[in-house]
Order: sequence, then C-alpha cells, then structure tokens
Amino acid sequence: MIWVETLINGALLGGLYGLLGIGLALVFGVMRVVNIAHGEFMVLSAFCAVLLSNLFPQVSPLLMLIPVIALSFAVGWLYQAAIVNRVVTSPDPLSPLLLTFGVSVILRNVMVEIFGADVRSLQVGELSRASLEIAGLNIGIMPLLTLVLAALLFMALQLVLRHTEFGRIVRATADRRDIVRLSGVKPDRVYNYVMGLSLALGAIGGVLLAVRSGFTPFSGAERLLIAFEVVVLGGLGSFWGALLGGIALGMAQLIGLKIDPNAGLLYAHLLFFIMLLIRPSGLVSSRV
Amino acid sequence: MALLDVNGLQIFYGDLQAVFDMNFTVADGEAVALVGANGAGKSTFLKALVGLNEERRGAVHFDGIDISQMPAEQVSRLGLIMVPEGRLLFDSLTIEENLLMGSVNRRKGSWTLRRVFDLFPILEERRRMFPGQLSGGQQQMAAIGRALMSNPRLLLCDEISLGLAPVVVEQIYRSFADIRREGTAVVLVEQDVKRALATSERIYCLLKGRVSLTGPAQGLQPEQLTHAYFGN
Amino acid sequence: MTLMPTRTILLACAIVLVAIIAGAPFVLNEGILRLATECLLLLTMAQMWNLLAGYAGLVSLGHQVFIAFGAYALFLTSGWLEVTPIWVLPVAPLVAAAVAAIIAFPLFRLRDAYFSIAMWVFAEIIGAFTMKSQAVGGTSGVPLATSKLIDFDWFEPTMFWLAGGLTLVTIAALYKMMTSSFGLGLMSVRDNDLAAMSVGVDVRHNRFIAFVLSAAGCGLAGALSFMGNLFIAPLAAFDVNWSVYMMFIVIIGGIGTLEGPILGVIIFFGLRELMTGPLGLSGGWYLVGLGIIAVVVMIVAPRGIWPALRDRLGVRLLDVHRAAPRPAAATILPGASERVTG
Ligand SMILES: Nc1ncnc2c1ncn2[C@@H]1O[C@H](COP(=O)(O)OP(=O)(O)OP(=O)(O)O)[C@@H](O)[C@H]1O
Ligand SMILES: [Mg+2]
Repeated sequence: MIWVETLINGALLGGLYGLLGIGLALVFGVMRVVNIAHGEFMVLSAFCAVLLSNLFPQVSPLLMLIPVIALSFAVGWLYQAAIVNRVVTSPDPLSPLLLTFGVSVILRNVMVEIFGADVRSLQVGELSRASLEIAGLNIGIMPLLTLVLAALLFMALQLVLRHTEFGRIVRATADRRDIVRLSGVKPDRVYNYVMGLSLALGAIGGVLLAVRSGFTPFSGAERLLIAFEVVVLGGLGSFWGALLGGIALGMAQLIGLKIDPNAGLLYAHLLFFIMLLIRPSGLVSSRV
Repeated sequence: MALLDVNGLQIFYGDLQAVFDMNFTVADGEAVALVGANGAGKSTFLKALVGLNEERRGAVHFDGIDISQMPAEQVSRLGLIMVPEGRLLFDSLTIEENLLMGSVNRRKGSWTLRRVFDLFPILEERRRMFPGQLSGGQQQMAAIGRALMSNPRLLLCDEISLGLAPVVVEQIYRSFADIRREGTAVVLVEQDVKRALATSERIYCLLKGRVSLTGPAQGLQPEQLTHAYFGN
Repeated sequence: MTLMPTRTILLACAIVLVAIIAGAPFVLNEGILRLATECLLLLTMAQMWNLLAGYAGLVSLGHQVFIAFGAYALFLTSGWLEVTPIWVLPVAPLVAAAVAAIIAFPLFRLRDAYFSIAMWVFAEIIGAFTMKSQAVGGTSGVPLATSKLIDFDWFEPTMFWLAGGLTLVTIAALYKMMTSSFGLGLMSVRDNDLAAMSVGVDVRHNRFIAFVLSAAGCGLAGALSFMGNLFIAPLAAFDVNWSVYMMFIVIIGGIGTLEGPILGVIIFFGLRELMTGPLGLSGGWYLVGLGIIAVVVMIVAPRGIWPALRDRLGVRLLDVHRAAPRPAAATILPGASERVTG
C-alpha cells in the first residue's frame, strides 16, 4: 500500500518535472539550442515569488505566479534578443552551449551574492498540508493540483502550437529559418517569443517546485539536470513524452527516497543513465 | 518607371564575387525569363533581390522603393515574392498550413486559400498531408501556392520545372496564365530555355555572373543564344 | 608577416622554461609558489579540456569526475600501500583513463549538448555514491593518510616542480600530437564529421583517444591539486566549478589553440587576484566577472582572445591551428562555376 502511494506521489511529482522539461524542449525544438541557464532562470523566478510574497504577505503566494510568469516572459524575451540570438546561427554548435553555460554561472553567482546561500521556500500555508483520502491512499492536494495544472498547460501549449497562426509560425521557423523570412516573419523575433514562453513555463515549474521543497541559488543545476533528463527520456521534441519522462523520473526519485532518505536525485539520475544505455532514443520517439 | 529596377548589382559570397554589375528591369505585369548555365548566378541574384543574400552592393528599386539593403522580411511585405529553388516547404506543416504561411505578411489581394485550391485542385485533396507525402510536382504547386498567398506584385520563380515530368510542367506553366491575369509580373529562372522563352516577353541570359544577352524573347537567333549561354 | 618558430627556437624556449621552473622555488616565497602551482595545474586541466572541446568538438560539463577519480585514487592507494603519495601518482591518470574508456560507450551515442549534460549527470551520480560510501570517507572526506611520510621542507617546491613538469610535458605532447597525423585527423573531426569520415579518418576512434587522454591528464592534475591540500572531500572534488574554470579559461583564451589556455589562465588568476585582493570582492562576484568576460568574448570574438590577437599581430607561437574553416570558399573553387552546362 505504501508503495502504491509512493508511485502515485511520484507520478504527481512527475507532472511538475514535465513542466521543467517542456520549456527546455520547446527552445531546443525550435532553435536547436540547449539553454543551460534554464535551471538558474527557474530559481530566479522562485526568488521573485518569495520576494513578492514577502512584500505582500496577505496575498496567496500562488497568485504571485501571475506577475512572476509575466516577468519571466519578459526576461526570456530580452535574454534571447540581447544574447542568445547572437550565436544562434553560429556554424559552431558549441557556441550556444558555451554561451548559455556562461550565463548560468553569472546568474547563479549573482543570486548567491544578492540573496545569500540559505535555503528558501515558498509557504502556501494550509494548502501544502491538505490531502485527500481515496481508497485508503493519502494524496496531497497540492501535488494533485500541480499535475492537473501541468496537464492543462501541456494541452494548451499543444493547442497553441497546432492550431494558431503563432504556432504555425513557430513550427515553420523551426523547419526553415530562412524561408519564413520570405513570408515576412523575422526569425529572431519568433525566437524571442519562444524563449519568453520557455522561461514562463519554467517559472511555473520553478515556483511550484519551490512550494514543494526548499531551494538555494545552487539549485539551478539540479533543476536543469532534471529538465534535461525529462526531455531526453521523453524523446527529443515530444511534449507528451516529456510528461511521461517526468513521471518516470518522479517515481524513481520517490522510490529512491523510500529506500534511502538521503538519496536526493540519485535514483532519478540513475534511471536516466540506465535508460540512456538501453534506449538512447527515449521512451517515446515521435516528433512534436 | 519599371516595377523592378536593378542597377550595377554586385553579389558576394565572402571573398568570392558571384554576380557582377547586374542591370535588370521588370515592368509592371511583364514576364521575364532569366536563363543561364548551372552556377551562372541566377539563384544568387534572386536571393539577393528578396534580401536572403546580404552581401550585395548596388541599386535595387522595387516600385520606386530602395530595397538594396532591405531585410527579407520587409521585402516580402512589399510584394516581391520568391518561389525558392528546391521548393523548400515546411516539413512539419501540412500543405494547408504551408499555404497559410504565405499569408502571414498580410498583403491584401485576390489570392486566397480558396483560389489557390481552384488553381491546383490536387492540393485541396492533399491539404492535410505533409510535404513529404506529396510528389515533386505537387510539392512545387504547393510552393507556388504559398507564394501566391502573399499576393505578389512580382513573383520570382526559381527552376520550378526542375525534376518534374513534362505533363506536370505543362500544367504548372498553364497556371501562369491565371497568375498573370491578376497583373502579377513574373521572373522565370529556367533550365528549359525554350519553355522560358515561350512564356515570357523578354529574356536575360547570365554567364558566370554577368549578363551576356538581353532582349525580346521572340525572334532570337539560336546561335546568339547558345553563345550567350555557354560563352566561348 | 608571420614568425614561424624553428625547432631550435622552440628547444631554446623549452630549456629556458625548464630552468625557470627549476629555479623558481629558490626565489619565490611560499604563498606565491602555491599560487603558481595552482595556476599550472589549472592550466594543465584547461589544456586537457581543450583537447576534448577545442580539437575533438566534445564539450564536457562533467570533467570534475576525472579530477575526483584521480585524486581519490591517489589518496586511497597511497593509504593502502603506505608509501609516499608521489610514488603512487601514476595510478591517478590510469584510473581516470579507465573510467573514461568505460563510460565512453554510452556517452558517445550522444552529441553536442546531450553529451555535455550526460557527462554532468554522470559526475553527479558518482559524486552521490562517493558521499554515501563510508569506505572513501563519505561526505566528510579523507585526509591524506601518508602525509607523515612527506618531507615538508621540500613539499611546496616539489609540488611546484611536479606541476611545472606536468604543464611543460602536456604542452609539448599536445604540440607534437596536434602536428601529427592523429592531430590533423582530430581537428578535421571537429570541423566536420562527414568530411573527416570520407577521407578515411576514424571519427569515433579519434574522439575516444582524445577523451581518454583528456581524462587521464585531468586525473593527474586533480591528484596533484588535492595532494597539495593533504585532504579531499566530495563537495570539493565533484564541484562543477572545475568544469566552469576549465571552460572559462579555454573560451576566454582561445578554444582549439595551445596558447589560448595560457592566456586564459593569466586572465583567470589576474582577475581573481585583482577582484578578491585590492577590490575586496567576494568569490561570487569574481565568478560573475569572469562569466561576463566569457560571454562577451563568446559574442565579440567567438574563437577567443588569442586567435583575435594573433590575427591582428600576425604572431605565431605554437601554431597548430588550421586555417579558419571557410565553407563558402570550399564550394566555389575555381572552375566550380562551370561544373555542368544545362
Ligand atoms: N552559399 C554559397 N556559398 C558560396 N558560394 C555559393 C553559395 N551558393 C552559390 N554559390 C556559388 O555562386 C555561384 C552561383 O551559384 P547559383 O546557385 O546562383 O547558380 P545558379 O545559376 O542558380 O545555378 P543552378 O542552375 O545550378 O541553380 C556558383 O559558383 C556557386 O558555387
Ligand atoms: Mg539555382
């Protein structure tokens, strides 16, 4: 019974992990760039949420998601416009990798200097402890809400990409960056929006993860690795795959924690590594 | 005043010059053929016109507007539209979505999805398919359709008959009658010189990046053309 | 105008450098000597990282794992055998190389960023196991058990000589390697997989060798580095900042060149001494400063400062770098415009 509960909680956590991965997958899918600073941006958004909820203690921290998402979108837009676009067409595939890695080091250390290295978390009061009792299983409300939110976001993103003009433009730009210009589209601007969207999705994941467990400026690396593992496990570029990958990792992590309370992310990393050995193309190998 | 007026255009790839001192005009509603051997610089020239090749010098005016240094996305909004060599459709978009990409630049005009489907009925049948599932000729129709969706004033077609069966080429060329009825001017880059001549009013021949011959399409001496085409 | 050094000039330089390294401990005070040792070890690591990234085109964000393997191997074997750590130094590169040879199999299926991050995940996994394993000291780490066998009068100078020797040997070996057919094959791998394969270069094989060598070098340098501290703990050994340092040094100085990392190390330590010394800033701000320099360099001079300087000054020192790749020029060879007539 306790194991069933662990598996269910793992799946719920996995929804959150899927959210971490989806932003990374989006940027990779559209511009073939792995944004190494993705984790640091998530942590930054969590810090913003903490700051805001200190400023307005009477407002529920979950409502802070709205300004934080807006801010993250703007930050992503500027980050792409000011920095990433300069190397995105570089003939050397290493350039964006090294550049975004440099940005992650800068962000991490700026956060250390400004916010200190103490563990922070986002308190949502009652909600974080509330739980449901279904068939003798104890299921937290907050994780459940998170998974539902993740699934809704995945669907929304899918709808936007499939059925709107914006989505068409994004997919066309991913296919042929030069040719969309013949239709009056500026690929750099598309990239700006995509990075904004990616960081906005990351912010949702980052804030919800901060509700679940504490974070420090150094948590970015951990978040990036999870996001990355989700993407690879899910099969590059597949959205639902990312959700599945997240669920697999979430389960692995919670089972690991049951076996060894100090395991941290070790079992999630191990699952990833083993999967890499036996199925390098991911769990689901279909395209978007 | 010509619709397109190119004066002394030079185009480069790094240290290498691909097109030299090009003079070229197209009048409103006119059809012009641009021929030349492989590597003569035809595609390079078209790409430079629409702004995809940015290493260029010289004067280019479209409808009186200086477009010599204009980025591609702005040129597109003026109605100077290219059907690129090799079709270059968007592989993860359906045929219908590919066509709709043409209307992203929001140019007003009579071309709509409906009219493109009327022109190439096979595309309507295949609207939900992906480019990879279409034959070469159907892909070429989609590429032309995408360009038409931008309501071009001047349509630049780069080797639209390449690799297609004669019947399909015939069908595509017949569609030009419809296209030109709207007053759209056309530049046809072709390997098939005869067909290019039959469809256009004037011709330019390029040889190693230079115009080697220009004049009315009708009444050309074959030797004259061979000489301009191959040099020697 | 280029200045090509002949063999004799290089040889003379080498002799002068050996003499300087031999004599330095007698003139420098202990603090400076320690700093110099640190510089030289980091330079070696950077060269090793560059061997992989700059020549073989594989960016590793988990190279700290080889540093840690080398260092732990040294500490443990020296403890088991109860001999002075210097005599067991060779185990460090061997263990690191063996580990690299094994994990190359899964990792080489991945390219670009996927390889980079998978390396990082691997380092995290090993780091987590190390912290759990009491046999290697767990989270609190282990002191060098045989430190009583060390002659502390000569410890700092010996460390310096070892580091200096390692640096010189590394650079000489890399120079030799990069001017050999193996090196040329390797560089063609970085430029273009397919082209390299079509002229008969065994891409995977060359990458594999570069990976193993790079791991071995980092293992040895890491072992020396922790031996100097007489203590090792997982948080320090598996610190991702090792990769950060190596990477910043290489990209600031000049990726894919031998001189680049030298310039990079000078900037790295110069900035550190300046920012944490006279300016009194913390280590965090120092990393921020370094990161900003790296990002600016990446944007303004993507190949690094040294290649940009070299092009401007026309100086060639240990030039193993081929002409900048110019795909455009390659396709427009004279005559290409007359390929076929239609
Ligand atoms: N991207 C490029 N980089 C460098 N040189 C190029 C590039 N594209 C074309 N060239 C060169 O420019 C010259 C003109 O090429 P272009 O493609 O314009 O010829 P073309 O007349 O369209 O030939 P084809 O009939 O084969 O399509 C050729 O010598 C070609 O090698
Ligand atoms: Mg062409």
